[in-house]
Amino acid sequence: MNFVNSRYSPTVSIRSYLLLLALFYGELWSEPLRKVIDREVSAGWKKEKLEPSKLANDETFLRRVYLDLLGMVPSYEEAKAFLEEESEDKREKLVDQLLSDERFGKHQMQIWDLSIFTRKPANPSFTKDRDRFKDWLAKQFNDNVSWDGIVQKMILAEEEGSAMFHVQYRNKPEDETVAVSRLFLGTQLQCARCHDHPFEELSQKDFYGMAGFFVRLQVLQETKDKKKVYTIGEKSSGEVMFTGDVREQKPGDKGEPVKPKFLLGDSLNEPDLPEDFKEPDYKKIKKAPYPKPYFSRKAKLAEWMTSPDNPYFAKAAVNRFWAQFMGRGLVHPVDNLTPDSKPTHPKLMDALAKEFIAHNFDLKWFFKEILLTKAYQRDSAGPGEEATPKWYQRARVRPLSAEELIASLRVATRFDAAESKEKSLPNATKSYMTKIFGEPVDGRGNFQGGIHEHLFLNNGSQLPGIIRAKKGNLAYTLLNSENTWGGRMDELFLSTITRTPTEAERNRMVGYITASEDKREIQARLEEAIWTLLNTSRFRFNY
Amino acid sequence: MNSYCTPQDHINRRALLKGSLLTGAGCSVANFGSLFGADEVTKTAQKKGKRCILLWMNGGASQIDTFDMKPGRPTAGPFRPISTNVDGMQVCEYLPKMAKQFDKLAVIRSMKTGSPDHPDGIYHMHTGFKMSERTPHAEIGAVISKYCGNLDADLPSFVRMGPCGNAGPGYLGPNYAPFSLKRDGSMPTFSTNNLKPEVRERRADLFRFLESEFSKQHKAEPFEGHRLAKERAWRLLRAKDAFDVSEEWPKQKDRYGDTNFGRGCFMALKLAERGVPFIEIGHDNYDSHANNFVCHKANMQQLDPAWSSLLIDLEDRGMLEDTLVVWMGEVGRTPYINNRAGRDHYIKAWTTVLSGAGIVGGQYYGSSDEDGREVAENPVNEGDFFSTIYTSLGIDPRKKHFWGKRPVWLTPEDAKPISAIMS
Repeated sequence: MNFVNSRYSPTVSIRSYLLLLALFYGELWSEPLRKVIDREVSAGWKKEKLEPSKLANDETFLRRVYLDLLGMVPSYEEAKAFLEEESEDKREKLVDQLLSDERFGKHQMQIWDLSIFTRKPANPSFTKDRDRFKDWLAKQFNDNVSWDGIVQKMILAEEEGSAMFHVQYRNKPEDETVAVSRLFLGTQLQCARCHDHPFEELSQKDFYGMAGFFVRLQVLQETKDKKKVYTIGEKSSGEVMFTGDVREQKPGDKGEPVKPKFLLGDSLNEPDLPEDFKEPDYKKIKKAPYPKPYFSRKAKLAEWMTSPDNPYFAKAAVNRFWAQFMGRGLVHPVDNLTPDSKPTHPKLMDALAKEFIAHNFDLKWFFKEILLTKAYQRDSAGPGEEATPKWYQRARVRPLSAEELIASLRVATRFDAAESKEKSLPNATKSYMTKIFGEPVDGRGNFQGGIHEHLFLNNGSQLPGIIRAKKGNLAYTLLNSENTWGGRMDELFLSTITRTPTEAERNRMVGYITASEDKREIQARLEEAIWTLLNTSRFRFNY
Repeated sequence: MNSYCTPQDHINRRALLKGSLLTGAGCSVANFGSLFGADEVTKTAQKKGKRCILLWMNGGASQIDTFDMKPGRPTAGPFRPISTNVDGMQVCEYLPKMAKQFDKLAVIRSMKTGSPDHPDGIYHMHTGFKMSERTPHAEIGAVISKYCGNLDADLPSFVRMGPCGNAGPGYLGPNYAPFSLKRDGSMPTFSTNNLKPEVRERRADLFRFLESEFSKQHKAEPFEGHRLAKERAWRLLRAKDAFDVSEEWPKQKDRYGDTNFGRGCFMALKLAERGVPFIEIGHDNYDSHANNFVCHKANMQQLDPAWSSLLIDLEDRGMLEDTLVVWMGEVGRTPYINNRAGRDHYIKAWTTVLSGAGIVGGQYYGSSDEDGREVAENPVNEGDFFSTIYTSLGIDPRKKHFWGKRPVWLTPEDAKPISAIMS
């Protein structure tokens, strides 16, 4: 826009000019976060005298970002569309497109659902069926509700579905204290449950002070449309009892009531109950809504936790989300945040937290800034054996979750294209697959490929059943293609492991499949070839 | 004998890749301690080739009707004690063959434990920790698999059959997960393959080709772990004749008893011979809230030939000194008899039995009072018991591991091994 030649009135033009000026300087004043990230990460390499790997090519980037954002590999068509696109900013366009894909919220939900409930949820009879919670949480991510908003809603538990968070800890305020501190404040308090923390300034009083926020919560269970529905209530009285160090405890010790206290912070200021206050009998309430408490402790907790001034909340969040994409936290493990913890990249930690707050805890913005860094877009090839390099000189390697494996198997084999209606993988339901692929790591999060997953993959009839040629699916399409076998191998590789084969791979594969002229034998061999690709490291990991 | 030198143990691939450690006998030893830092204890246990066979009395066997009899007392029940090959030690009349093995047994009559029911008791008596803790502790088979096993052997290092533990490998990870045979000792689902061997082999070769192309540039450990696990699964298929005892069984079934449990004990012997460091055989069902005596009489008649033959055969093969045989369940049973002629769960004073691997046999440790209601002397809790097991196998019972940031130890802080029964 040009001031002199403007057809608009001078005032409008001046306004536009000032706006442009402001934008220009604004840009200078606040450097985009992605640039800060790259600067700080490369400062780390220099300090450690490390050579970074090259940038990942489009194929590697494509597969990585699909798995990280949507929890599944791209389909053949999606892969082709991206690889054939020629615009300079196609990676940014792809990230934008995936962030607004419905599958995004569902995948982020799965990550958090698993963090919150684990594969073996507490209180399983209540938490086993939590579809309402999952739908609720997926919607939060898809609607891009800010992170402080999502956490507030979980603590307040006023929206349909959100109550499940508290239900897990019904009558267990101490367990909930551990979980809330770990998940949302990045801090592990479980030591302080039984004794003052040996190395840190955490005392048992801090622990029981936090538990005081949960001790009054009540869970009401009703059945609506044959489904369990939960409502969270809060009493106006009741305290946590503190008995001191468990090692000095005597049987029958009931302990002293403790007032709520914010973690390593102030005690809660709370009004006294009126003398004539009578606590309703919660056991007799069988129908929602619950009465409102005289004073809501959980509301105060939610407010304190998600406040920009909270010393842990933003840091814990950026550290966790960073680790989700980068493989390890700047403080590692991600729930190891303490007042004295030293991040690998202290300036970066501060910048991430500050900018996340400045952008009102905007998740999609934050994810995009990380995904568009060179740091995220490094190749995972190169020397060194660690799965998650501490200095991010190489991309991290992580196994696909059971959910990602199921979804990716469906996409790669074009399972759904061959079915008239949606159905689960034959004889490989989710609960079954999570039993086999659910926890492929040891106590420190290192991948361990147990033989059980391979016994299943090698010997079970499930995987061959999913692969077997059926009108519309991958095996069928390749068998009936007009293309040369060499060309069909490109489609096979791109469909399964999101890259085109090398010349050696293509030749070997074509030789393998066409070693016979018998039609049925060719089909069998093609299905074996698909089986093999789905068993390789390139399929098993996000790398 | 050194079980790590049997021909079934292939030269271990990981050690070859990482630079192998050679033992005095020239066998390669896996450097798998590297996951948690090199570990001297691991190597020691491996060289000694220690193993453990756990006879798991599912539901909880009655101490008063087996090893801690109370003749003449109101709690005694109808069974009579008989003398054993050790002066001053007696056993139930329905364990006559075991009576002749008492010189091998250390009988702990003072178990005083903390989890009174089945799921929690099974967990507690497989890990040494309470189930209500949210830390996923590793069960005994996984621990022994890690410290006495060889990840690169063809056979799995944690084998079990029948009703057994419920904790799994916990923080140790899937490498130490149980390989669970069916009750009758037949192979689990997914351990047979219907493809022709040549098809299996060409598919495997194709896999190896694709992986080798990939591994030229990609060196991260998870990829290597993935390939090794794949190869292990293939090797297991080739080595699975080890689980087939059908040829020898006809000659052995009269000795061990022609039952699932008897056959399981014989298979445990054969697997131990081939270097499998941990085998658990579950024996059902001791949970006799009603008809305790009918139930126990029947169970002991299966238990007696199987257990005694196992001990005899281990000794004959010179394996008993390296093999710990554990007899236990998750709880004991009440001294008092309920109105259904049953005995309920009891954890205040009950019995477990150890033998082999340096355990000094022919002795009691601890005792219960005259009616068996309380421990009279030397109480033993789960931690002490597991500490004893691990120590006798050369495993440091206070070995530290991690669950995320949190340190976890193999046994609780106050656990002490029972040195009085160890040589």
